[in-house]
Amino acid sequence: MSLVLTGIGVTSGIAIGEVHRLTPGELALPEYHLDADAIEAELERIHRAIDRSRKFLGSLLDKMGESGGETARELLESHRLILRDPLLVDATCERISSERINAEWALVKQTNQLLAEFKRLDDDYIALRREDLEQAVNLVQRELADQPATLIGAQVPHQLDHTVVVAAELGPAEMAILHQRRVAGLVTEHGGPMSHSAILARSLEIPMVVGLHHALDVLVEGESVILDGHYGAVMAAHDESLQRHYEDKRELSLRRRVDLRRYLGRPSRTVDGLTFRLFGNAELPEEFQRCRDDGVAGIGLMRTEYLFMGDQVPDEETQYRAYRAAAEVMDGRPLTIRTLDAGGDKLPPALAVTQGPNPALGLRGLRLSLSVTDLFRQQIRAILRASQFGPVQILLPMITSIDEIRQARRLIEECRQSLQAEGTTIDPDLAIGGMIETPAAALTVEQLADELDFMSIGTNDLIQYVLAIDRQDELVSYLYDPTHPGVLRLIQRIVETGRQRKLPVTVCGELAGDAHAARLLLGLGVTDFSMPPASLPAVKKSLIEASAARCRKQVTRFLDNPAHHNTGQDLLETLNSKP
Amino acid sequence: MMRRDIVLTNRLGLHARAASKLVQTASAHNSSVWLERGERRVNAKSIMGVLLLAAPLGTELVLETDGDDEEAAMNALVALVEDRFGEGE
Repeated sequence: MSLVLTGIGVTSGIAIGEVHRLTPGELALPEYHLDADAIEAELERIHRAIDRSRKFLGSLLDKMGESGGETARELLESHRLILRDPLLVDATCERISSERINAEWALVKQTNQLLAEFKRLDDDYIALRREDLEQAVNLVQRELADQPATLIGAQVPHQLDHTVVVAAELGPAEMAILHQRRVAGLVTEHGGPMSHSAILARSLEIPMVVGLHHALDVLVEGESVILDGHYGAVMAAHDESLQRHYEDKRELSLRRRVDLRRYLGRPSRTVDGLTFRLFGNAELPEEFQRCRDDGVAGIGLMRTEYLFMGDQVPDEETQYRAYRAAAEVMDGRPLTIRTLDAGGDKLPPALAVTQGPNPALGLRGLRLSLSVTDLFRQQIRAILRASQFGPVQILLPMITSIDEIRQARRLIEECRQSLQAEGTTIDPDLAIGGMIETPAAALTVEQLADELDFMSIGTNDLIQYVLAIDRQDELVSYLYDPTHPGVLRLIQRIVETGRQRKLPVTVCGELAGDAHAARLLLGLGVTDFSMPPASLPAVKKSLIEASAARCRKQVTRFLDNPAHHNTGQDLLETLNSKP
Repeated sequence: MMRRDIVLTNRLGLHARAASKLVQTASAHNSSVWLERGERRVNAKSIMGVLLLAAPLGTELVLETDGDDEEAAMNALVALVEDRFGEGE
């Protein structure tokens, strides 16, 4: 009998591996394998660290004397007992010698095993408070950090290819480390499909299930699980036949991926000779690297919200470093940086005060930036400074009127001049573009285009605002239809305006990264597509094998027939059937 | 080597406070000290081992001491158990 847990799948991949329940702060600890001749030194190191931790507890007890109260004394005593416990000390040493791993890692592993054993005990009998063990172990980890290993021989970092990491939530920094360690799969208790970590998982192609409530309580450390990102399922206690089934499936999808990647090297041209361009959406260094390796024409969308997701607003210097690093990785290819698009469903804690009664229609995107101009200036200065390291352009989100664009341009010019006065020369022709993602902007695109150097269509918001549908709302999400003629006509109008004015128009919403919808966009006249790196191969294949003229004809027929009997779904099918 | 059957008569059994006292007493002696509950045998100098026995009121345990001070260790531990770990009633 297998146990199936369901959450929300955010990547379609499959992972098979052992559960590891991530403890907060754990990823900051080094994990590596030791050469045989380094083991002796490592054992001494952990003994010294435990010794010092015990002395520290002893000194606290002495200082406390009689005044501390019985509970506090007992707590410290129990920590001291834990640090003398062979189940912790001897077993950790045993792991260092037999598994040949560093002290920090051995300690984490042994602690997790003990915690799992205590978890199996009857709930009514609270034998050991989890925190007692964790606090005692943290003392030792702190001592180990103070006295880093003098390494003998090579460090082989710990890889997680066969591990499914389970956590309450994951931040971007943790995602980056887990990606470097080649984690097999991810499960989080919280977060939705549009959460930051979900977007990252998709772009890094890490199989992930989010919103799996109580995952940390239900999944046991070290047990073997299968994660099916497509169905959002995590299967524990499964039998061998299921495991074989999924191994085959994983193998097949890996092979398909390798096959698809061959298209990346081919020229970006449709069968009837129309040239298109593929751009990447990226925010983390890994993603920029990936985009460059995959041969993108540039970055069509660098979101900056993740920089603002901490408790504090990042200063100019922090932002400058992130933008500059991206420009340097892209090595001469255009980098489109979108100014803060906070609000709606993604509001940084630092700006939470700006939350109105209806966030989707509230102070968000450029409106928010124009209302906190100090913050906006900081970001603009950081972007302008980074533009010295590559062709950077600025993208303004959520515009609805010409006036907003003019205000933003004025502020950008002010920043350019103040940098000039400080001795930093910025290209005065640096391109400034706007996201066309509100009905108002789409319906006045001919006027807005006069004020912009390029345009970008954010399909997610455009569809939501045009159809008046919140896709997160499961009661109406079935009505969310990207092929609705109302949406298509607006996209067509934006693209046509761009063509007439010779302004580049990129589609950077989710639609652009959907291999089926790519031909729909092609039929609407789109030639610049921006998407997460993971989508590049499939979209490129779809476009290379498409006839632009045929797609245009089919889309036009669909739109021109007012009493059309075909649904959008039929249109997508026709577009994607073989010519 | 000495072995003795004991029964936990304190209200809470081997909960955190009682376990600490037991481990501290065991650790004060040179002899090795073991506790058995059915199939399970743990080092009585290991706080987590003792807690993992999860022994409530009325549990029958076997206490084993082995070493140069095994008799003193046994007497001290039995006295602790009979005193209900100092919990009173």
